[in-house]
Amino acid sequence: MQYDPTLISALEPDQLAAATMRPFPRRKLGRGVLALLILLRVYIVIAIPIVVYAFVHALLAPQQ
Amino acid sequence: MSEDALNFGLSVLPGRAEERVTHEDVLRARDRLKILKTRAAKSPLRLLWLLAGPGVLVMLGENDGPSMVSYATTGATYGIGFFVPFILLTFLMAFVVQEMTVRLGVATHRGHAELIFQRFGPFWGYFAMGDLVLGNLLTLVTEFIAIQAGGLYFGLPSWLSVAIGVALVIGSLAFRRYATWERALMGLAAFNLLFIPAALLAHPSGADLAHALATWGPLPGGMGTAFLTLILANIGATVTPWMIFFQQSAVVDKGLTRSDLPQGRTDTAIGAVLAAVAAIATVVATGPLFAAHVDVSQFASGADFATALQPLIGTTGATLFALGIVEAGLVAAMTISTSSSYSLAETVSARHSLNLDFAHGRLFYGVAIVSTLLAAGIVLIPGAPLLAMTLTVNVIATLLMAPALLLLLLLANDSEIMRDLANGWWANLAGGTIVVTISVIGALYGVITVFPNLLGK
Repeated sequence: MQYDPTLISALEPDQLAAATMRPFPRRKLGRGVLALLILLRVYIVIAIPIVVYAFVHALLAPQQ
Repeated sequence: MSEDALNFGLSVLPGRAEERVTHEDVLRARDRLKILKTRAAKSPLRLLWLLAGPGVLVMLGENDGPSMVSYATTGATYGIGFFVPFILLTFLMAFVVQEMTVRLGVATHRGHAELIFQRFGPFWGYFAMGDLVLGNLLTLVTEFIAIQAGGLYFGLPSWLSVAIGVALVIGSLAFRRYATWERALMGLAAFNLLFIPAALLAHPSGADLAHALATWGPLPGGMGTAFLTLILANIGATVTPWMIFFQQSAVVDKGLTRSDLPQGRTDTAIGAVLAAVAAIATVVATGPLFAAHVDVSQFASGADFATALQPLIGTTGATLFALGIVEAGLVAAMTISTSSSYSLAETVSARHSLNLDFAHGRLFYGVAIVSTLLAAGIVLIPGAPLLAMTLTVNVIATLLMAPALLLLLLLANDSEIMRDLANGWWANLAGGTIVVTISVIGALYGVITVFPNLLGK
């Protein structure tokens, strides 16, 4: 496929598909963010069984 | 990328060291060129028209089947009163949240799922993607329930309306062009505004509407569990995880840049206003059910509301209402299945764009097609636990909104990738307040759903 370099220059360099496939580095997390993420994991550990319970409970309830 | 190089005869561009140009880039560059020319011609309205899309689609997409049923239940239970200004407030909250995704998109040119994966690691990356794809699949089931119910109102058998829905959703992917897909969906999403003429046919009192907006009342029945549940359902109908993932990916796929941020914000604001008007119109349209003391507690779908409204607002009004419900399910099915595609492909570093052809976007298109077929198939299974799925959708969406919002806020504060577009103090105050409010309310909704008698009757 022929392309026109002028056309491609309408894109910013970091918009090219090749550029967007290069990953950003992992973020260095401070203590505060780390604590928040740990709290979030605890929240998820509690939330997932609630989701499972809700589904099973609704499944066993008589359907309308 | 090597596949692209072979197929498209790619080469290195002068001044763009080591970057190879793909077909996807060429299509996006064509769109960008139009934008640059329009900007140079100083034509602000055309510029806004060209740059609008992700915000309007995400907001009107969130006015989906279950959301419209929530608004209809609200109108039939409480009439015109407290919930009219409350709905405006929820869309203001949605705007604050979604504006952050526009900034993230233009600053990083990365989708939300890949940013979470890259910046916070595989645990949060896979969790966010898995949570979203599962929640989206269940939500898709509820969208096909809406399409099926709307079809039943018009006398179509379930299999036919679901089949038409599947054909349209999968057919929309055949454009293989983001810009065309977006415009087609915007045209379809305009039908969300059918609720406005339906509301006018209910002959609402302008004085009642003005009174509700000015006083946040009346609130018949006071603040019981039913009221709290509707509050939570209305919030859940406005701010959900798929919206965050969808809009950021759509902003990137459309090719918005930092210079387009004002139009990106305006697009989101216009979407919020349109969606709020359609939501309030639904409350107003079902107001006559409240006045006539119709018990809607056993109504399972939007079609039940349309049938009940027929003697009150006429056949035309009820028909518009039913058409609006079908549109709500259809547009949401298209946007939600696409958000699953973006999220899964971004997480596993596969190509992800609506500008891809099928050969290069097998995984991307495959996720949307498979999830659509699965959801449609589930709806058609006789005796399938649809009610259980609908309930679980609400629980997943509300309970797991907290992680999605918190990760969004952390990313919007990540100055390494956001640079000057990182959240300022005002955005953090507004965003933080919304995160805390929605998280607490969402968790409460989840708990109430699981333990309905916790707060008494």
